[in-house]
Amino acid sequence: MQETRTTESPSVLSRSSTSTQDRSSAVGQTSSTGPQPSKPTPIIPPLVKSTGPGSGSGVRRMRRIIAEDAEWSLAIVPLLTELCIQHIVKNFQNNPILKQLLPEHQKKVLNHLSPDLPLAVTANLIDDESYWRRCCTQRWPVCHVDNHGGSWKRMFFELHLENLLKHFIPNTTDPAVILSLLPLCRNYVRALRVDQFLPPMQLPAPPRGGDQSDSGSEGEMEEPAMDHYQLDDLVAGLSHLEELDLVYGVKDCGMNFEWNLFLFTYRDCHSLAATVKACHTLKIFRLTRSKVDDDKARILIRSLLDHPALEELDLSHNLIGDRGARAAAKLLSHSRLRVLNLANNQVRAPGAHSLAHALGHNSNLISLNLRLNCIEDEGGQALAHALHTNKCLTTLHLGGNELSEPTATLLSQVLTINTTLTSINLSCNHIGLDGGKQLLEGMSDNKTLLEFDLRLSDIAKESEYLIGQALCANREAARQRALNPSHFMSPVTAKGPENPVG
Amino acid sequence: MNPPGSLGVLEEKEEEHLATPILGPSIHSDNPQERIQARRLRIAARLEARRREALGEYLDGKKESEEDQSKSYKQKEESRLKLAKLLLCGTELVTNIQVATDTREIHRRVEEEEIKRQRLEKLENEVKTSQDKFDEITVKWEEGKQRRIPQELWEMLNAQQGHCAGLIEDKNKLISELQQELKIKDDQYVKDLKKQSDDICLLLERMEEQVKNVMKTFRQELQNIEKAFEVERQELLTSNKKKWERALQAHNAKELEYLMNRIKKVEDYEKQLNKQRVWDCEEYNTIKIKLEQDVQILEQQLQQMKATYQLNQEKLEYNFQVLKKRDEESTVIKSQQKRKINRLHDVLNNLRSKYNKQVKQFQEENQSLTSDYKRLVLQFKELQKAMRHFALIDDKQFREIWLMNEEEAKDLINRALDVDRIIHTHHLGLPWMAPNFWFLKNVGPISQQQQKSATQILEEVLMEAEEDGAEEDSSASESYLDLPKQVSARTTRKILMLLCDESGFLIESKLLSLLLPLEKSECYLLRLDAIFSALGIENEDDLYKLVNFFLKYQAHHLPPSQEPLDLRAEKEGSLVDGKSQEKEPPPSPKLIHPNDVLKILEAFVMGLRKPRDSWVPVKLLKVVRDDSKDSEYWKALTTVIPATTENLWDALYTALEKYHLVLTQRAELLIENCSLERQNTELQQLLQQYLNTKINSELQVPPTQVFRVPTK
Repeated sequence: MQETRTTESPSVLSRSSTSTQDRSSAVGQTSSTGPQPSKPTPIIPPLVKSTGPGSGSGVRRMRRIIAEDAEWSLAIVPLLTELCIQHIVKNFQNNPILKQLLPEHQKKVLNHLSPDLPLAVTANLIDDESYWRRCCTQRWPVCHVDNHGGSWKRMFFELHLENLLKHFIPNTTDPAVILSLLPLCRNYVRALRVDQFLPPMQLPAPPRGGDQSDSGSEGEMEEPAMDHYQLDDLVAGLSHLEELDLVYGVKDCGMNFEWNLFLFTYRDCHSLAATVKACHTLKIFRLTRSKVDDDKARILIRSLLDHPALEELDLSHNLIGDRGARAAAKLLSHSRLRVLNLANNQVRAPGAHSLAHALGHNSNLISLNLRLNCIEDEGGQALAHALHTNKCLTTLHLGGNELSEPTATLLSQVLTINTTLTSINLSCNHIGLDGGKQLLEGMSDNKTLLEFDLRLSDIAKESEYLIGQALCANREAARQRALNPSHFMSPVTAKGPENPVG
Repeated sequence: MNPPGSLGVLEEKEEEHLATPILGPSIHSDNPQERIQARRLRIAARLEARRREALGEYLDGKKESEEDQSKSYKQKEESRLKLAKLLLCGTELVTNIQVATDTREIHRRVEEEEIKRQRLEKLENEVKTSQDKFDEITVKWEEGKQRRIPQELWEMLNAQQGHCAGLIEDKNKLISELQQELKIKDDQYVKDLKKQSDDICLLLERMEEQVKNVMKTFRQELQNIEKAFEVERQELLTSNKKKWERALQAHNAKELEYLMNRIKKVEDYEKQLNKQRVWDCEEYNTIKIKLEQDVQILEQQLQQMKATYQLNQEKLEYNFQVLKKRDEESTVIKSQQKRKINRLHDVLNNLRSKYNKQVKQFQEENQSLTSDYKRLVLQFKELQKAMRHFALIDDKQFREIWLMNEEEAKDLINRALDVDRIIHTHHLGLPWMAPNFWFLKNVGPISQQQQKSATQILEEVLMEAEEDGAEEDSSASESYLDLPKQVSARTTRKILMLLCDESGFLIESKLLSLLLPLEKSECYLLRLDAIFSALGIENEDDLYKLVNFFLKYQAHHLPPSQEPLDLRAEKEGSLVDGKSQEKEPPPSPKLIHPNDVLKILEAFVMGLRKPRDSWVPVKLLKVVRDDSKDSEYWKALTTVIPATTENLWDALYTALEKYHLVLTQRAELLIENCSLERQNTELQQLLQQYLNTKINSELQVPPTQVFRVPTK
């Protein structure tokens, strides 16, 4: 009996030791060979002694001894799930398995995936923000995720698409490069901000480049060849597009400057108009610094009439004149436009007249920007008259419009009546001392205006200071109203130690 | 800029650095407008400071009032305002650049426009002058063609050349000027570019500065606020500590006082305790002696008690035995009772089950009976229907049969009467009188006259009364023939009107609303109808009962002052004839006070109810025909020929019979006579024959001699 027991127990022992060896080898532990020879030696003596009790107790004790071994621990053996996850990560490109996994495993896989995986695999499979965050931070050093609705995935696709568009050269680059991306990004791209469109390559151009006088006529001659990338296919594919911010121009041209590079052709204009018209989800449309003149503006605006979603139109830094302004005024009454920006154009008094006429009957527009135009007093007076009836506009920018005292008197009347305007900008005009006094009078009755920019408008310091005080009081009141909207407390009049005036 | 100005600027700048560090860099700006702006700002700040000084006292006063608000709150508010201002200033400072460039741009545009206009003018002038010159030259060409002398021609050509050269020179000059301008523009463009880059640099610088400043001031303000909080906390802590210490001291003093009081009290109590102890000792001794005595007495009593105990024990044992026995008995009885109870329970159960069964049975029976009853009711109804039907048919049949029989009888009677008449006139030669009986005129079954319903009467009365109003006295009096006319129509009408006016409460409100549009008489009629239905008046009799009741009531309750004769006369009059009554002034409206109407009505209803109780089955009897008169009628029919006539007829009959007999005998005799005559003739013929024959002659004695007589 004793012999059999002894023979049994070593076999058990050997088995267990081998198993531990297997495990340790599987782990690939460096210290596996060191302690193992020593293991059997401490185990055998108790076994020999413990012949009295049954073999079962012997096995138990042996196990306990193995468990007590300081070198051997279960923790270093990676779980099968870990191994599987590693494998999945390694072969993700060929065999993407994600949705079938448990949530915690999914997280692990996503944490280990490389940001360089092809988009075709990842685009519609991975929704995890942290992964896309890694992708973004890897590609671009500066990431403003707030500009993309707080979604890293959206940001990645938008920036990626913008990048492709920026470097697209018509007739040279394959349009399929962009269109192949379309099915991947169509659900995520909401805004498209492209600040450069490259013109097609002109191989015969360099020899003639030296001649400055010919360049204009040359450009006109080759106009059809100067068309930029046509956005219609792309925009039609993007079903959630809400913002379109385009600049038809070239950045960083340096000494290679040519007027040709900044040419927004009629064909571009027509295709863009059709594109915008077909895109029913578009809310914000910006086309700046693109040499849009009256005719092109009319083409664009005609396509925007009765657009179902458009809320903001920005055509600043273009060459729009009175006819374009008239078209914009028509758009005001035929859409739900809330923001209109015509800064730095060539709108004069007639254009301002038509805009004022539209403004008088409008109940959607919140902000109107006519900075750096030349509407002069005539237009300014018309706008002020329109503000008598308008009950919606909150922001009005009339900086740099050659306005003077007559406009100021009318505006001061408006200030006493109007309760919606919160911000007016009249900087860089020739309001004059008397105009400033009248504005001050108007301001004394107003309780809603929060900003009133009168810099460099030849106003007496005194009135400017007093207007500033009134604005401060209004701001304080607005703050109080925001803090406790239920009852309008009288604002705390304790002014701070400093009260600088704009 | 001149150096002293710049020095001043520097000084000012340093000042400003102390006051507001943000405004510093703007004065150093390359942009003159920027500097102007900065100076303006500074001036504004100074002005503001002065203003603040002026307002200072006022603000101080205000601040003192706010002193009770916490310092931290003030600090927060202050910092908030400061930071808001800082941000505002900063953004203004940054946007100043934009504004400045805007103005510059505007100026540039204006200038550009001006220059453009001048240039265009210049070009146009140039074009004009050059055109003139060109025209001159072309004119001269014409002149040159006419010149024949080569010298002149050469001179002229030279001159032309000179002119052309001048023209070209002018043009070239213009071109060079324009190119100069272009160059200047290029330079300016480069300058502008530089300036813009400078501006951008400045902008960036300012933005950075702004960010830095803002960060710094934010931190500072945060520190300030924290400090303020800290200070406040410290203050709070110290004040609380002080309070705590004060409270602790007070507490200690009080504790000491309490301690002293306690010590005093303890001493007092000790004294009292000692006193108490001495007194207790004495008392203890006396009590001890007394108690020992008591113990002795009690021991004696104990002995006695033990003796009685022994006795009682024996008694009790005996009693116990007895009780045991009784207990056994009672157990036996109990078991018996139990058994009895069980049995009774069984019985009860049996009875219950029986009862249940019976209940069920009865329920079933009840059900079956109810169903039977229902069926019977149905059957009864059907039967009734059938009965009614049959009654109708019977009625009809009865009527038909009656008519038939009557007809037959009448025929018979007529015949009889005819016969009678014939007998009287022809046979007896008496004058004949046709009998006149009531039943002879009767046609159809005898029936009682129907009673009129109350409403019909009403209608009649009212109509009557109305007619009455129209044609006063003639018709009204005679109209009331068929009634038990105790009362005149007018009185009745008055009473009814009164009733109608006084007892409107008996009418339903719905009906009243419906009645409004109707005519007056109709209205009265419907109202009275409603009132009668409420009172339970249904037929003529009731109505007259009512009217009489009214009159009687009047008579009973007539105050003695009024004349009772009046009423009596009226009554009599009513009984006798309408006319007499008509002439009298109608007393009723005077006599019956409207207030009495309700009392009368109440009394009437009470009175009416009694006879009404037994009235219900009458309705059914109404259907049964009164056939008592039928037999009488028929019997009467039989006696249409009185007994005397019958006797007469009998006598006549016997006489006639006798007469008949005689006549028949006579007839027989006549017949016999005839036959004898005929025999005679026959025999005569035979005789004749025999006489005439030859035999006679042949005879010895002719027979003719024998019988001569008959032939001759």
